[in-house]
Amino acid sequence: MNAIFRGAKSAATWAILIAFTLIVVVPLIWMILSSLKSGSEIFESPWGLPKALHFENFTHAWKTAGIAHYFVNSLIVSIATLIVLIPIGAMAAYIFARYPFPGSNLLFGSFLGGMMFPQFLTIVPLFFLMNSLKLGSYSLYDTKLGLTIIYVAYSLPFTVFVLKGFFETLPKDLDEAAMIDGASHSNVFWKVMLPLAKPGLIVVGIFNGIGLWNEYSLALVLVPSEENRTLPLGIANLVMVEHYNSDWGALFAALVIVMIPVLIVYWIFREKIHETMLAGAIKG
Amino acid sequence: MKTNLLALGLALFGAGAILGGCSGGSGNATPAGGGNGKDLDVVSFQGGFGIDFFQQAAKEYEAKHAGTHIKVTGGPRVWEQLRPRFASGNPPSLTWPGWGMDYWALIYDNQVFALNDALKTPAYDGKGTWGDTFDPSLLKLGEYQGKQYELPYHYNIMGWWFNPDVFAKHGWAVPKTFNELLALAPKIKAAGMAPITYQGQYPDYTIKGFLFPWVISVGGIKAADDAQSLVPGAWKSDAFLQAAKMIKQLRDAGFFEDGASGLSHTESQTDFLQGKAAMIPCGTWLESEMRKTMPAGAKMQFMMPPVADGGKGDPSAIMIGIEPWIIPAGGSNHELAIDFYKYMTSVDKAKQFVTECGTLTAIKGSDQVKLPPVLEEPVKFYRASKTVYSIQFDTWYSTLGTESKNAMAALLNGSVTPEEFVNRLEAAAEKVRQDKSKPAHTMTH
Amino acid sequence: MRNRGRTAFIITYLAPAVFLYALFVIWPVIQAVGFSFYKWSGLSSNKTFVGFDNFKSLFHDSVFWQALLHNAEIFIIGGFAILVIGIGIAHAMQGEGRFTKALRSVYLFPNIMSLVVVALLWQFIYHPRIGIISSLLGKPAPSKPGAPVVELSILGNGDKALPAVIITFVWFAVGFYIMLFSAGIRQIPQEVAEASKLDGAEGFFRFRKVTLPLLWSVGRIAVIYIVINALNVFALVFLMTQGGPDRKTEVMLTYLYEQAFVNSDYGLATALAIANFVVVMGVSGIIMRLTRKDPSGVPA
Repeated sequence: MNAIFRGAKSAATWAILIAFTLIVVVPLIWMILSSLKSGSEIFESPWGLPKALHFENFTHAWKTAGIAHYFVNSLIVSIATLIVLIPIGAMAAYIFARYPFPGSNLLFGSFLGGMMFPQFLTIVPLFFLMNSLKLGSYSLYDTKLGLTIIYVAYSLPFTVFVLKGFFETLPKDLDEAAMIDGASHSNVFWKVMLPLAKPGLIVVGIFNGIGLWNEYSLALVLVPSEENRTLPLGIANLVMVEHYNSDWGALFAALVIVMIPVLIVYWIFREKIHETMLAGAIKG
Repeated sequence: MKTNLLALGLALFGAGAILGGCSGGSGNATPAGGGNGKDLDVVSFQGGFGIDFFQQAAKEYEAKHAGTHIKVTGGPRVWEQLRPRFASGNPPSLTWPGWGMDYWALIYDNQVFALNDALKTPAYDGKGTWGDTFDPSLLKLGEYQGKQYELPYHYNIMGWWFNPDVFAKHGWAVPKTFNELLALAPKIKAAGMAPITYQGQYPDYTIKGFLFPWVISVGGIKAADDAQSLVPGAWKSDAFLQAAKMIKQLRDAGFFEDGASGLSHTESQTDFLQGKAAMIPCGTWLESEMRKTMPAGAKMQFMMPPVADGGKGDPSAIMIGIEPWIIPAGGSNHELAIDFYKYMTSVDKAKQFVTECGTLTAIKGSDQVKLPPVLEEPVKFYRASKTVYSIQFDTWYSTLGTESKNAMAALLNGSVTPEEFVNRLEAAAEKVRQDKSKPAHTMTH
Repeated sequence: MRNRGRTAFIITYLAPAVFLYALFVIWPVIQAVGFSFYKWSGLSSNKTFVGFDNFKSLFHDSVFWQALLHNAEIFIIGGFAILVIGIGIAHAMQGEGRFTKALRSVYLFPNIMSLVVVALLWQFIYHPRIGIISSLLGKPAPSKPGAPVVELSILGNGDKALPAVIITFVWFAVGFYIMLFSAGIRQIPQEVAEASKLDGAEGFFRFRKVTLPLLWSVGRIAVIYIVINALNVFALVFLMTQGGPDRKTEVMLTYLYEQAFVNSDYGLATALAIANFVVVMGVSGIIMRLTRKDPSGVPA
């Protein structure tokens, strides 16, 4: 058998697939190649291969522009957010999936509605709020903690949606059996349901992680100081500053630096993501 | 249909990603710390000149005044951080918010501390009042209803630039009039260069580099003042129409660099420095902005925009732009902010700024230094000028400013005629006149 | 027994999520809605109540309608391209070979990249100097005086900028829809697919008679997502063109940004956001209604 050819794929089908693959891939390859070129090569031979590998573009972006520091900040905030977000989100999703109560649909629906509102409209009210929330003598404004809390809040809708779907697909007799055995609601959740929802938790973790890694506008307003700046902010800064300096090689390198971790995480978990998506789709 | 929740979630995630994006760079801003009278939170725009100079000044000031702590932070789009800080009543103590900040909205909203009293106090070096140390014509640009809100620091001279080596090599003379330009341009093209390039992504440059110089050249300074003062009909006056036609003529003749309409400021400036184009409009920050990436041996020299032949305007008219600092009304430690700014505007610091950053300051006598070579020509023209003017309408009336930029982009693209161009400008001016919520300004000479 | 502590359990498990969401998402949204009835610079706490004035001036603002039209173009042209490519590629990729899976992963990748990176990358691609597109078109020597102007700029050209943005939009988004339609095709019972093959139904015919109707419900979802994405497009346009040149790529949210952060008219900007929200909801609702039944009359 040959799964690839079983679909009676004609030459035309192949041509289409190859052409489309090129359309998707060429811009990415071009970005990576350009990040290794000298400034004059970028101008003079946009399609050419780099004559020598100019890794100093990366050093420049990484060290001179301080991308390393932003990188660490992004890592801290993204991981902290996931650690708080996933249990809280799973708990709420579980309730919505398995414990309907008067008004639960309305509450769940409000999670959907709020997500559609353009985000930067909430930014000034949010700014007031973060300034007024004190932790001792410091406000939450311009702290990694504050940003983490905001990220948790803004990632909740997606998380709850996805996990609710997962909990709904789990067989009902499982928790019923456990309850009959005398387990408490909490025990059923933590011991039985949560482990079963692991594929969902992984998907939620990956997608949120990528989204947090890429997040820009909330961070822009809520953590303005150099000390707490995240990677997208840092990259935007590099683009703006380097734009002033016309350093194209470093610009491309910076883009690659933002992209690479996403690419790696995505490529490692791609099967997981696809399987889960397909499984979810069939049951949907 | 049973909604596929996972897919929905993923799609919303995608939507969120689009919603969530927002452009810009980043900068530093921290809430004004404890108000013990010794801390200062200074936020500066970080553009072609950087912020190193101000950070250095802060260190020097701290050393001279024990116990003070001055933090200078900045970013290339620092106004994005400053807006919510103003809105929440938590602005910095002293700031140069940059070109993206709506200064006048802040002033109308009483968000800016008036400095009339402070200007009457002694200058930093004790000689005369502080106010006397500024060039009065530049100080006037920051005034509103008799109160001094904006303080000028450095200012730029606007004009055109060319490479003297290239011109010498080909035996070209710098065109002084539009007809000379029209005669020279084909020769430049024949030499394989574009006669003129421009910063297409930012039509601001061409408004200041082409439109206004030619409006004034054709119709005199009054034509420009009337437009800035929103006199009815001024934006579609003959002077504006002629100036627009001159721009159109250059475009239709192919005298602008191909693709210039899509270039950013640094890209077009790089093209100019690499010899792909012979001339470019820009301010005196050009050298400082391009210093790091300038090809070795590239030269630039200031020139006046060629004047319209037979125009009634003063051919020596020259455009300047101030870069104002403000002390937010809601900022902490006004006294210290004033004193630190006094230090920055002391003639010695100002001279140092001229030398290090290569542009002029509003402080009298600060040009009494050995000017960087690139400044010699613009300063010569500036000192010889009988008409110094400045473009303010875009900051006074932001909607008119935006429309003028859009219309200019369209004119350079060839998608509107000069007649349509001036009619659009006049229509936008009329809209501002109708809007009673915007205070009116007048520009006179 | 089943109900022991049920209420307490519900409250404890919902509380953290509901609290965070209400405080940091819902409450700021409510506040923002309130702002739409005020004239407010967004730069101080001075606000003037103006009722529906912001909505009225929006209604009479030609730029708003122009922006809405551009959103509609992104939705219709971009959306059509996404559906055609999404369904076509998903159809062409049927099967579960390793190679097919890898391809699908490649196609989805742009969708998970940072929009900042996507926008900047494509800005470079369209760049008149370094971009691969204009260099494909060749770099003609400066034209002779009087010759027509050769315009190499893409994003700086009023006619090409919006199509260029739409192409980027499709490039960024389409992988997700390929994924979605692939999932939809997987839903098609194997025996139906096999049967149609045995009948000798081939290629397009099989696609039209078998695949397409069965994709109806997935297609509906896809269209709704495209509505949301196309009407809420912001970062892409903002980073690539800032709505220019001459507003030729202005969309609702870039205009909103201009009203708030350039013109300091926060009240009008929030009114615009509400209008945007209403349009998204309205269009989604209409599409849901119109597509309730699939072409063969079976309720989806």
